[in-house]
Amino acid sequence: MKKLIRSDYLARVEGEGGFTVRIENGRITGLNVRIFEAPRFFESFLEGRPFDDVPDFTARICGICPVAYQMTSVHAIERIFGIETSLPVRQLRRLMYCGEWIESHALHVYLLHGPDFYGLESAFAGKRYLDIAKKGMRLKQLGNDILTVLGGRPVHPVSVRVGGFYRVPERKTLADRLSEIERCYEESLEGIKWAASLPFDDRPRDTEFVSLGHPAEYPFNEGDIISSRGLRMSAEDFLGVLQEYQTEHSTALYSGIKRGSALSPYVLGPASRLNLNHEKLPLEITGVMKDAGVTVPIRNNQMSIIARSVEIAYSFYEAMRIIREYEAPDRPYVEFEPRAGTAVWATEAPRGTLIHRYELDERGFVRGCSILPPTSQNLSHMEKDIYTFVEANIDKPSDFIRKETEKIMRAYDPCISCSVHVVKV
Amino acid sequence: MRRPRIGVFKFTSCDGCQLSILNLEEQLLGLLEFFEIAYFREAADLPPKRQYDVGIVEGSISTEWQRKEIMEIRDRTRFLITIGACATAGGLQALRNWANVSEYKRKVYPSPDLISVFAISTPVSEHAYVDYELWGCPIEKNALSETLVSLIIGKKPGFPVYSLCMDCKIKGIPCLLVSRAEPCLGPVTKTGCGVLCPSFGRPCYGCFGPRDGANIDSLLERFRNLGMSQKETVLLLDKMNTYAYRKARIEEAH
Repeated sequence: MKKLIRSDYLARVEGEGGFTVRIENGRITGLNVRIFEAPRFFESFLEGRPFDDVPDFTARICGICPVAYQMTSVHAIERIFGIETSLPVRQLRRLMYCGEWIESHALHVYLLHGPDFYGLESAFAGKRYLDIAKKGMRLKQLGNDILTVLGGRPVHPVSVRVGGFYRVPERKTLADRLSEIERCYEESLEGIKWAASLPFDDRPRDTEFVSLGHPAEYPFNEGDIISSRGLRMSAEDFLGVLQEYQTEHSTALYSGIKRGSALSPYVLGPASRLNLNHEKLPLEITGVMKDAGVTVPIRNNQMSIIARSVEIAYSFYEAMRIIREYEAPDRPYVEFEPRAGTAVWATEAPRGTLIHRYELDERGFVRGCSILPPTSQNLSHMEKDIYTFVEANIDKPSDFIRKETEKIMRAYDPCISCSVHVVKV
Repeated sequence: MRRPRIGVFKFTSCDGCQLSILNLEEQLLGLLEFFEIAYFREAADLPPKRQYDVGIVEGSISTEWQRKEIMEIRDRTRFLITIGACATAGGLQALRNWANVSEYKRKVYPSPDLISVFAISTPVSEHAYVDYELWGCPIEKNALSETLVSLIIGKKPGFPVYSLCMDCKIKGIPCLLVSRAEPCLGPVTKTGCGVLCPSFGRPCYGCFGPRDGANIDSLLERFRNLGMSQKETVLLLDKMNTYAYRKARIEEAH
């Protein structure tokens, strides 16, 4: 008996993807996640561009996580030029990332993923979910507001530059938002309890979680690559242990960690970050997690909505901390001279570790670059998760398998427009 | 009376303009009272419909599948609105129009033959008649809500088509080109962004595209007098709206 189960265009994810599963006589004979998002060849047209085009151009890889691209690119270029930014600039960059995590996570938790747990085709489809959706939109709005204050607009902000910012806010402009941020922080703590109460298949999976790790802080812009199987290395070295490969069924490249002759899939994202860095969270938040019955490490990436909800709360907390301590720097950016060089840098985009590599010439023009987004790195593991599920449910009706597989994919919060930008390193 | 039906479609793009719809926040809930969002893949698991009253299209056309799809959508839609630089001008990815796409494919993909795309990225208007265009990278979200409200009351949507310069003056921002000799594209760019970049102390880089009747060659000559090379001035135009600026220069020359 042959079955073909397919989803042609997955809903409630960013970008264009789907999957097919072939089952014959009770066995899986084919399984693909299909990415058909049209490639745009960023890494090619960046060649020959001046360095200050890079943050504006790479932002256009993704409308939901432009800050991640801007942050990763300016840090890599600053490493090449030997630039050290001031502490206030460093803090403002963390604050900007808080804004993006809030906006991106709230979008996913409340509008894209949440409806799955209520059997709804969208967040606006049922009266019983509408209040939850509205709450999510309020949180998202504040994330967007933080980005607007710091960058002019949440999609493709204009203020980020090599050396710092074009302009920085006055203390008062930020402080004026504190009471709204506090209110949303309290709401986001309730959000953790709600996420923890949702129904999950929480059986542990054999998963390697990977993220940045930093000695002093929950990671955003800085750190080494660490994993739940003991990896600890610079982003540059990590590129050395990765192998990327192309498949017929996808415009995104896949990647795996080389161990001997094997290539193993791995997971990036909020669950990984939480598992590997939870001791950097403030006690207020870990207290709420404990009361809600959340145990770390999270053993199954399907429960990532909990990690995302924790990170929304953490981002509000961190935003308040940064704003309270903020003193505007004397200069919004430092002066520098371009020079030739190569650098690799990784930051934590909302969906996981984003890695850029740039080679610049002596005038600071791009000779070559590689961009490795988290979603493309997650694709192998996504297929592995789907395989495990389908195998265990092989005799169930096709409709059930299709719908549950879509939910499995959604739990990864895939950002498919990004994923088509992996390059031969 | 049934609410007009909206379909939202995505082609080659970053999703930022669709996100602007969701970023309307409370305005979105208000709009939902007057419109039915019948198809919007990013936000809802709803099947495609046979007819739409309004089609909102993001993204440029860069594959054969997309070329066929946009013509299909045009057939099924009464009023077609394109949103964002990709849909109105081909987007940043149109930079490949001036390069060799086979080279591009080889650099990115180990097996380039498996990847099938057009050598060029083009705006939707090159393939189907567009009723209204909202420029910007991304669009200004309020421009979209205003356009939709105008449709309900049968008013022609209208936005200023002058350059950024006017809005800089209104906001009291000293001209970057004049007072700081910085190469600002403001004089040749449609306003609509709220003069964001000048507000942040940086020259405009043209994400809202060329304004009608802009004298681009004259501005580039001004930049050359400031010390820029010919090549550097062209690099300024070759960004999110590269196709539109180049087209405008050609038309200006005739």
